[in-house]
Amino acid sequence: MSDDFAFWLSYLTNGKHLTWYASFQFTIFAAAFGGTLAVIFGLIGATLKNSRFLTLRVIGTIYSSIVRGVPDVLFFLFFPLAFEQGVEWLIATQVCSPEMIAAQSAAWPPCKDANWFLGTPEYLVLASVSLGLVYGAFATNVIHGALRSVPQGQLEAARAYGMSANQVLWRVQIRQMWVYALPGLSNVWMLIIKATSLLSLLQIADIVLWADRLGAPNFLPAVGLVHADWRWRYYLVLFVFYILITWISEKSFDAIMRRAGRGILSEAR
Amino acid sequence: MKKLILTAAALLALGSATQAQETVRIATEGAYAPWNFLNDAGEPAGFEIDLGNAICAKAAITCEFIINDWDSIIPNLLAGNYDVIMAGMSITDERLETIDFTQNYFPPDPSLFVAAAGAGIDPTALEGKRVGVQGGTIQAAYAEENLAAKNTVVSFGTADQAMADLAAGNLDTIIADGAYLEPVVAASSGALEFVGEEVMIGNGVGAGLRKDEAELKTKFDDALTALKADGTVDKLIAQWFEGRGPYFAE
Amino acid sequence: MDRFIAELGLFAPAAVFNIYFALASIPLGFVLAVFLALGKASDNRLINRLSRGYIYAFRGSPLFIQFFMIYSLALSFNVAVWKPMGMSWWVLHPLFIGPLVLVLNTAAYTAEIFYGALRAVPRGEIEAARAYGMSRVQQFRQVIWPNLIRLAWPAYTNEVVFLFHATAIVYLALPVIGQQKDLMITAKELFERDYNAFLHFSVAALYFLAVSLVVFFLFGLVYRRLMRHMPAIPRMRYAPTWWR
Repeated sequence: MSDDFAFWLSYLTNGKHLTWYASFQFTIFAAAFGGTLAVIFGLIGATLKNSRFLTLRVIGTIYSSIVRGVPDVLFFLFFPLAFEQGVEWLIATQVCSPEMIAAQSAAWPPCKDANWFLGTPEYLVLASVSLGLVYGAFATNVIHGALRSVPQGQLEAARAYGMSANQVLWRVQIRQMWVYALPGLSNVWMLIIKATSLLSLLQIADIVLWADRLGAPNFLPAVGLVHADWRWRYYLVLFVFYILITWISEKSFDAIMRRAGRGILSEAR
Repeated sequence: MKKLILTAAALLALGSATQAQETVRIATEGAYAPWNFLNDAGEPAGFEIDLGNAICAKAAITCEFIINDWDSIIPNLLAGNYDVIMAGMSITDERLETIDFTQNYFPPDPSLFVAAAGAGIDPTALEGKRVGVQGGTIQAAYAEENLAAKNTVVSFGTADQAMADLAAGNLDTIIADGAYLEPVVAASSGALEFVGEEVMIGNGVGAGLRKDEAELKTKFDDALTALKADGTVDKLIAQWFEGRGPYFAE
Repeated sequence: MDRFIAELGLFAPAAVFNIYFALASIPLGFVLAVFLALGKASDNRLINRLSRGYIYAFRGSPLFIQFFMIYSLALSFNVAVWKPMGMSWWVLHPLFIGPLVLVLNTAAYTAEIFYGALRAVPRGEIEAARAYGMSRVQQFRQVIWPNLIRLAWPAYTNEVVFLFHATAIVYLALPVIGQQKDLMITAKELFERDYNAFLHFSVAALYFLAVSLVVFFLFGLVYRRLMRHMPAIPRMRYAPTWWR
């Protein structure tokens, strides 16, 4: 029995498993950074949608509706690839001579020197930005709605105090908006957490990739412990992990909402 | 102003691009034991990792292994995410249209059919069977061409996933590299067996490079020639593939 | 431009797979969701706990993981269960297990929507029904259900659009059989051939956008019918929200 225990303990703490545990950092980073960006893009989008100028309003509306009309996976893959190509095209305009372009045999980049190398850190940042962009579109809607939920009387009172339009927006409207936006933002946050499971599609060695590699059947003693197909157990661990994260997030948001909601009348409570 | 920002961004990216030239990045799949796999320490290991390190030592270059999924391993080479592929990749005419290969470091090796022992699978007359392959391999192309009309060809992301489905009885047979299957069948203690004839496809396994990397290709080729001559390649083959070789001894 | 049109044609057969996945999972998911919602509102402790737990688990974890987990779980039962029963060839087929996972997933999301609507059904109407001496089944069919579906319909429309979007990851997680490839795999493969991200991904996106609009239109028609007793029929607009 204790031998068994010692064996499993050493198996679960071998380098391969430790790398798996360490790879949770990618998921957590992508969620945190992506979530922050989503709020920022949401604020920008909502400001655009509220703008006095038609063009800006149209841009805001197009952003929030097009991105939401497309699956998150699609945009998640498209954005980093398109961004990489955009930068490479930009470099190409600076460094590629016509001869170099003619000498290039591959379809992309335009010339060899225009290649931009992307490793895990770069892809991780790009992945977070695309999460931010996708869910920023959802946050745009949430924040747009929340800005309108701030009682008119508050804004009128602020104006009566002689505040300028900008002051009303930043000191009163946006500050009071959070209470109304929090339930929606908590929903967006849950979506972001779940979308972090897609990181392996960008060749990031994340928890999903490691679960697949660790669980795949192994037949050769030289490679490691010989075992049958254990993948579903590893995926079950991830399944439970995500449920736990959801649960923790939910509790945290409840606490924040209770705190933020102090002193504000709301039908919801 | 806009132009300035663009130039600055371009230079910044260029900086990281030129910096990247110093180490040679070698991509491998890490799920194709004993060719390449992730060992208990979580690092790439296997025949190709040892060989790659030997090549780099010989050619006096710094190398680094990168894990990349098989199905996007050629596209990402072309896109410049790394410089070399060493992932048990057979040299074929189709691949030579897009990328270059060094000389082979593993001779042409027959592909084999494997099935559950006693299942009575006859690869010469396959009909209505489920044939597993790893997507994007020479065997996948072979199965698509010769078997797809009468059978169901199921393609998987990794060879291990295909093996899992075969072991679980979801496939009738798998066609894959002999050198990959042999140790698996040997270790299955009689549960799996080879069936039918060997199929010769591919011209041996080599390292893949972009077509415009002539300099790097020469370095790799020269190093391989030297390593074949001094017996290192044969030694590594014997070490990782039991009972194989020597292939390159004079 | 010619290339764009050719590309549209190239993607059409692939779109069929996404549409199939959505169509195959919507009806079952709907029915399952009604039961789960009633379960969550049930006074029976066991049923209540189970429904709650199920909804929480499937809403709280990524669909991507659910695909991997359920496929490998189903695979591990193959030798003992599916094979002897002769079900192996369809149980593990992506065209079956894809919709299966989608049903399990969408049922949880839809159940949450229905549960919310169930709680919003005016109490007075239920009390009136009870005063008329209606049985529980009658109450549900005559009073609760018509109210519930009207309240839930806009959110349910959203869920259907999201379900359609979710079909994009079926083949990213499951083995591909022969040439059965959906929009996402087609776009990825074409991209890996010529690196034209803007063309291939936009065309795939266009298909998703177009089907989303069709869903909004059709569900809008149903909504108008559901609300025909109202003096001013509310319009449903194209607006996927954060309900998921």
